[in-house]
Amino acid sequence: MMSTNVNQKWAKDAQNQSRLSFGLAVTSLAQKDEKIVAVSSDTIDLMGLREMMRLFPERILETGIAEQNAMGIASGLATTGMRPYVCGYAPFITARSMEQLRNDVAYANQPVVIGAACSGITLAVSGGTHHAIEDLALMRSFPNMKVIVPADAHEAWHLTRATETIDGPCYIRLGGRHEEKPVTPVDAKPVVGEAIQLRGGSDVTIIACGALVSESLTAADQLLAKGIKARVLNMHTIKPLDKQSILKAAEETGRIVTAEEHHVTGGLGGAIAELLAEFHPTPMRFVGMPDEFAVVGPTAQVRAKYGMCASNIMSKCTELLKY
Amino acid sequence: MIKNRESILSHLREEAKKIRVNIWRALHAAGSGHMGGSLSAADILAALYFHYMKIQPGDPEWPDRDRFILSKGHANAALGAVLVQAGFISRDILEQFYGFESLFGMHPDIKLPGVEMSTGGLGHGLSIGLGVAKGASLQKKDFRTIVLIGDGELQEGSNWEAAMAAAHWKQANLTCILDYNKIQQSGDISTMLSLEPIAEKWKSFGWEVREIDGHNMDELVTTLDSLPFVDHKPSIIIAHTIKGKGASFAEGTHLWHNNVVDDHVFSKALEELELSR
Repeated sequence: MMSTNVNQKWAKDAQNQSRLSFGLAVTSLAQKDEKIVAVSSDTIDLMGLREMMRLFPERILETGIAEQNAMGIASGLATTGMRPYVCGYAPFITARSMEQLRNDVAYANQPVVIGAACSGITLAVSGGTHHAIEDLALMRSFPNMKVIVPADAHEAWHLTRATETIDGPCYIRLGGRHEEKPVTPVDAKPVVGEAIQLRGGSDVTIIACGALVSESLTAADQLLAKGIKARVLNMHTIKPLDKQSILKAAEETGRIVTAEEHHVTGGLGGAIAELLAEFHPTPMRFVGMPDEFAVVGPTAQVRAKYGMCASNIMSKCTELLKY
Repeated sequence: MIKNRESILSHLREEAKKIRVNIWRALHAAGSGHMGGSLSAADILAALYFHYMKIQPGDPEWPDRDRFILSKGHANAALGAVLVQAGFISRDILEQFYGFESLFGMHPDIKLPGVEMSTGGLGHGLSIGLGVAKGASLQKKDFRTIVLIGDGELQEGSNWEAAMAAAHWKQANLTCILDYNKIQQSGDISTMLSLEPIAEKWKSFGWEVREIDGHNMDELVTTLDSLPFVDHKPSIIIAHTIKGKGASFAEGTHLWHNNVVDDHVFSKALEELELSR
């Protein structure tokens, strides 16, 4: 389970980083489709687009540090038949360009793909200005928008490439400048809107996305050592939500713990709670950022402080087992 | 030749007058609306749609059509009027302004034939137009992109991001027209947040600038015909206009930026337009 597909050049070049994998996937799409264009807000290296710049310099549009403009340009390009991939830092490409994103992209329903690097608190040392812990709630609230959260470079590659044929806007939430432990089986071909079950189990289900998928697997393994069988679903697509696998998990395990590097309001946990409240009320616990801005510090420590770690996922599962 | 030009201008003036009549029709049907900024743009729209732009109203998705983006989306009554007159949409739509489930609301809707982008949030159109113009360059297409912006919306910083990028990219297939009627919702721009010196600002951002009387059809046609002004810069036409142009009671005041249009206002407005014939 824990291996990378080293036979593929992209996997090696992506260095187990989803943001680089995104750029390499966009480059690979650009090689076969002249309509593919990247719009960068000073993020060429951040998004792994240096190779695309070498191959197709005319199809890298650099707007400088101007996310509003980048988003509007992407929308305009899309109306002419181009397929724009607009790139930025997650906190800025969402919040700074929010009105353009809402009106020009989501409301006008244009096939613009937004690649958002350094999401969550991957830039923990940068402080609260650079954290993106509300982006899923914002993106999820827009009609037409698809919201994708790859957990590793392998998923980022496949899911980015999958957007080529999606007729409408997509948001892809990516990691920061550090390795993300591979969690997706190398032979898996993730499909937008279909959760991947990484561990089987009938006592409780952990549904996670992004960086917390890896933490959830650790939690599941430690729970198993105690005789507790936790199912783990990698919910890499938050919208459209894989309702079927969530309802099945609720029916079969009766307990759901969600885990995400995002506020506990409005993100993955919120989406699942909305679904279950209506169709299959189920005891739940939520792992994510509480209602506060995160402190500065090394990402792993900051994650742990707010419980976005394997040990807290374990405790939440244990807590639920009382039901 | 001169006679031919005169007949062209006369035709365009007639279309501009019809645009104003149709603006009032739409606003009357809705009961209110943005007359000020719609009326100031009427001559510009007539010159664009009936002289300058290459369009096929019977085929609104024609790939090689020139693109027009109304960044000052609150002037949608004027856009609806010109789209009706050009033949993109049926005349009935004017009666559906603000109507339930109408595609003709206060602001443009991309779903309406002839509308290139849903606008209304101010300061968006120039970036979108730049993307459209870049899309033409990348696909080696000759179509031209025109963005009509309002003066009040130039207070939005996003315009200047787009202005910088368009000049940096030498986007000569992009033209911006500023409907400079000098009044925004709450008062005179000069007292609220001045744009001056506006021509110098655009020049310093790398654009080629022309200033004209936005109600003088002769100047409008001459200026549009000379686009692009230079082959390595985007062009901007600063069109000096009068807010509420064509209705004496509405001219030059922020009180008629957006106002009620009852039967009395409607008949007075039409009467004045009729007399101006």
